[in-house]
Amino acid sequence: MGVPYIPVRGLAGTDVFARRTDMMIVHNPFDPDEKTVVAMAINPDVAICHAIKADRWGNAILRRGGDELLISQASAKVIITAEEIVDQVTEDDPDGLFISALNVTAVVHAPHGAHPAGVPGMYEMDRDHIKEYIAASRSDETFHAYLEKYVIGKTEAEYQALVTRPAVVAGDGA
Amino acid sequence: MTGRYNADELLAVLMSRHIDDFETVACGAISMLPASAILLAEATHAPNIDAIIRGSEVYGAGVGRDMHFIAQRGKLDMFFLSGVQFDGEGNLNLHVIGDPDAPDRRFPGGYGSGLLAYTAKKLMLFRTEHSTRVFVPEVDFVSAALKTDPTITRMKQQVWLFTPKAILRWDDGLQRYALLSYHRGTTPAEVQAATGFQLLIPPDVTETPEPTDEELQTLRTTVKERLIETGTYARWAETAFMPA
Repeated sequence: MGVPYIPVRGLAGTDVFARRTDMMIVHNPFDPDEKTVVAMAINPDVAICHAIKADRWGNAILRRGGDELLISQASAKVIITAEEIVDQVTEDDPDGLFISALNVTAVVHAPHGAHPAGVPGMYEMDRDHIKEYIAASRSDETFHAYLEKYVIGKTEAEYQALVTRPAVVAGDGA
Repeated sequence: MTGRYNADELLAVLMSRHIDDFETVACGAISMLPASAILLAEATHAPNIDAIIRGSEVYGAGVGRDMHFIAQRGKLDMFFLSGVQFDGEGNLNLHVIGDPDAPDRRFPGGYGSGLLAYTAKKLMLFRTEHSTRVFVPEVDFVSAALKTDPTITRMKQQVWLFTPKAILRWDDGLQRYALLSYHRGTTPAEVQAATGFQLLIPPDVTETPEPTDEELQTLRTTVKERLIETGTYARWAETAFMPA
């Protein structure tokens, strides 16, 4: 990634273009008879991605099937939070998807750090907490109350103590 | 409706008949009826299809990117899509009801719809309600469009729209929906009255062939079991179908 834009077939005729400036319909530079949609790149300043494990250099194992690697490759800085810091992470690790330290700016040891989401093989998503978050998101007042309860002025340890720990997935990881 | 089948079973059976063997067929993440249609086709006349069912533990695992690029290169034979509103210009809305800047209701959105409605060779639109609040003169937001500026590359497509009352067909030449068939218990006039835009109604339009006993039995046994054992809307499948 890091490319300035990407072409995509689709979306023509929809109201998307009237409401967004990051997508437009242009001529294919290689075939003037063809027009396609192009979408502007999203290049975050910082990506924060939670890993199953990482080493001190920043090599890490991400869950499979997610978009964390793609996001990291498009971002200026990448912070990896990891369940576990190990001596060395290698490309052939069977537990997930490898991301090279070349992409990574910093590593943070953050056990249970995916909460309220889950980590495959380690712990499940905390559905009750996500419901609470969604309910709180309905207005600025209720969302601010949520932040007061869980985030503002709280340390990571205080946050973890406040949330109910969901059941550990049986068999592995724990 | 005759009491032999419920509305969900009717739509699943009717959609399954349009799936041909060896096709690559796909549906999205909250797609119980398409999933049932796909598995019914696989269990009957189309055993060699490639099925992608997002949200299924077996049919949806690790194929999200594949689905995107298969569609982008024009190799996705069929995609299923629903919407909150459809209009007679071939637009569907899966974004908002009301003013997009201050919506009355929000829906999951439609980037997938806008991409896949454009690229699938056979587009299976469906809606579980056939009324004038669904089939409107003009949608509040165009999430996916059947009409495209002719200078923009788009493949030829076949498009159907399945409802509890009828099967509509998008007439590519006339750029309008035509009534392909109406279901047992309704009439072309009743279908038109429940539709907020003008349909083309051929004088020789016929009744939709009802689900056969064999189709219903397969749906209620093989397909139900398969949905449950593959983690494909298993909880829904427990109660969706009438007793075998």
